[in-house]
Amino acid sequence: MECKEVSPLLNAYLDGELDLTTCVSLEAHLAACPACRQRIEAGQAIAAAVREQAPRFSASPYLATRIRASLREAESPHGNMTGWKALPIAWIYSALAGVLGIIIFAAAFLSPVTESSPLIQVAMADHIRSLQVGHLMDVISTDQHTVKPWFMGRLDYSPQVVDLGPSGFPLVGGRLDVLDHRQVAAIVYQRRKHDINLFIWPETGTRLPTTLITHNGYHFVGWTQSGMNYLAVSDLAEGELGDFVKLIREQTN
Amino acid sequence: MMEDSHGQGDERQDRQFAEVFLPHLDAAYNLARWLLRSDHDAEDCVQDAYLRAYKAFPRFRGGDGKAWFMTIVRNLCYTQLKKAQTHESGESFDEEIHGGAEAAQAEELRRKADAETLQLSLGKLPPEFREMIVLHDLEGHSYKEMAAIAAIPIGTVMSRLARAREKLRDEILASPETSHGM
Repeated sequence: MECKEVSPLLNAYLDGELDLTTCVSLEAHLAACPACRQRIEAGQAIAAAVREQAPRFSASPYLATRIRASLREAESPHGNMTGWKALPIAWIYSALAGVLGIIIFAAAFLSPVTESSPLIQVAMADHIRSLQVGHLMDVISTDQHTVKPWFMGRLDYSPQVVDLGPSGFPLVGGRLDVLDHRQVAAIVYQRRKHDINLFIWPETGTRLPTTLITHNGYHFVGWTQSGMNYLAVSDLAEGELGDFVKLIREQTN
Repeated sequence: MMEDSHGQGDERQDRQFAEVFLPHLDAAYNLARWLLRSDHDAEDCVQDAYLRAYKAFPRFRGGDGKAWFMTIVRNLCYTQLKKAQTHESGESFDEEIHGGAEAAQAEELRRKADAETLQLSLGKLPPEFREMIVLHDLEGHSYKEMAAIAAIPIGTVMSRLARAREKLRDEILASPETSHGM
């Protein structure tokens, strides 16, 4: 690779958005080229300055109230007939009957967990509630040796807490939450500005979404390991959540 | 499901709408505030976006809800910018990355880039560049999500963000030295 091929890729490299092969050849070039290394450094300085210094404007609490009120107002004469509502009612019923049939079939024979299963609904509610100010964490710490003991005495089992900071998923804290009809540990990780809730509780026989499912823009992946159920919930891109799950599984024994 | 009486179904849908989209309020406001550069305009724009999203919600078929919503916010901002003619479209919209011999400036950048300089410098970029930096570095969106929000190919996200950082760097370097630098 030469400098003129490298320079359009430097930002993507900094942002971790390059594929592995390009990354490798770019790093080979960097090792040999002090000028491009300096460019990388300047790029890093810019991105870091924005992250640390540029203000992130927050909405005033009043705006949320205003929006809720305007939504309530909009809902009373609920718009005009749009989408499926405009279809003749008989069509809707027959379509629904078909859909229902498929869902029952699927529930019975195929897909173990769907987005409508109570586990996913409750986990989504937990995750969304955790995003609201002040609900995310009961114990705020980037240290696994602080987070893990915090759960002792609060739960009748001890969740494993691993630190994935070096892999780009810093631990930010933990809290107690309710899922699958019991108290569970929620360990919170972050990737850029995305929060990941990792719920951990003893195996109960409840079926988990062992392949990723998506509901309302949130992704869910679950698995069982050493007698514990794990469920990761986040709006992070699917691939990145997959990486996160892989790392957790590797580092949990 | 939706075969229960309309009233009930709607109510549930309304609640679900608020639950899913209100957590994105700060993100939406931040983008609108950076693009429109006025508290008042940003608030109106975000409120309008919620109403539009609410009406379009029955047609929303899952997928990335946040990106879907941010697209609505962004489009409304651009409509507003066009209306107000504050869109500095006179400036040549140059997506080329120059990446010249300007390498050894990391130190000067770190010294000059305080909060005030950054806000001013970022505010001077054309909105198409400004939004790339806001979406990526402040809101933490991936290139793929940004491509969906701004309706441009990922390759364009990559070059536009790179160009945006170049422009921002030039603005910061051109700004006067502040007294509280070190």
